[in-house]
Amino acid sequence: MKIIKQFGIIFTICWLGTAAEHMLPFAFPASVIAMVLLLICLLTGILKVEHIREKSDFLLANMAFFFIPAGVNVINYLDILKASWLPLLVICLSTTVITFAATAFSIRLTVHLLKKKGGQQHE
Amino acid sequence: MNELWASPFFGISLSILAFWIGVRLQKRLKSVLCNPLLIAILLIAGFLSIFKIPYESYNAGGAIINMFLAPATACLAVSIYSKIRILKENWLPIVVGCTVGSVTSMGSVYLLCRLFRLDASMTASLIPKSITTPIAVEVSRAHGGIVPVTVIAVIFTGILGSIFAPFLIRLFGVKDPVAAGLSIGSCSHAVGTSRAIRLGEIQGAMSGLAIGICGIITVIVSMIFAY
Repeated sequence: MKIIKQFGIIFTICWLGTAAEHMLPFAFPASVIAMVLLLICLLTGILKVEHIREKSDFLLANMAFFFIPAGVNVINYLDILKASWLPLLVICLSTTVITFAATAFSIRLTVHLLKKKGGQQHE
Repeated sequence: MNELWASPFFGISLSILAFWIGVRLQKRLKSVLCNPLLIAILLIAGFLSIFKIPYESYNAGGAIINMFLAPATACLAVSIYSKIRILKENWLPIVVGCTVGSVTSMGSVYLLCRLFRLDASMTASLIPKSITTPIAVEVSRAHGGIVPVTVIAVIFTGILGSIFAPFLIRLFGVKDPVAAGLSIGSCSHAVGTSRAIRLGEIQGAMSGLAIGICGIITVIVSMIFAY
């Protein structure tokens, strides 16, 4: 019954997420609304991690498995991949390096400014 | 023969078997190239084409597995919540880093797609490629992308990130473990995080946090961008 209850809690939140998606005037994915809802429930204490621990551990630990069907669907799009595999390769590789660098430098700058500000306050 | 494949149990069993093989191979070979999801996709695609089984038959079971994606995404909240203390302590660098990382990723993908003259659906498929698969799939679908192409690009980016993470840390002289973890998470989501965990506890936690936060930021920015 414990696992069924946990399923019940998470599926209800997902269902509320879907309902919210329909009500919102702009396109916001239901699963991300559900994630924010769950985070709010945890932060406000409406739900405790214990209420959903086993089920969420199961879903998070096996996350990759649930993507298999979506990935297999690629066999219907092989011609597209064949036509543009080189740009795909170049884009994936270069943007990964650019994103890493941009994140690292922006954090370095933020930490540096925070320290400077902190130092001034102490004086 | 077709009735045999059309049962949803076929697609589910085949997926579980293929994923099990993928996980075993990764444990045995200990290589990031052996991503269990990638191996499972290749095995199933090979099996379906060899035995000439239509994708629709496989997807009778596949659709049921697919249904668990939304609950799995929602549970990312639990992994953010479990790191709430470290988030509160470093909230400014985290928010700035993830925002700059997400915007840079989307912007650079968009520009390169223009440069290579890729069409709108291909561009929409690639823009969310640095974030975690469940959210990337939603962003891609919402903006007219091809979901399977997004899945492949996301996995590929993750593998690249986890291979190059130690090299990138040295190349850009990232000494702060908080910055290293967030940078890995923002460019290569969960696959990169598995590597960040091996670099250290702080790197792993930060990379894990970046997954959820970059995901939310990407959804919001892509929404504004679409308007």
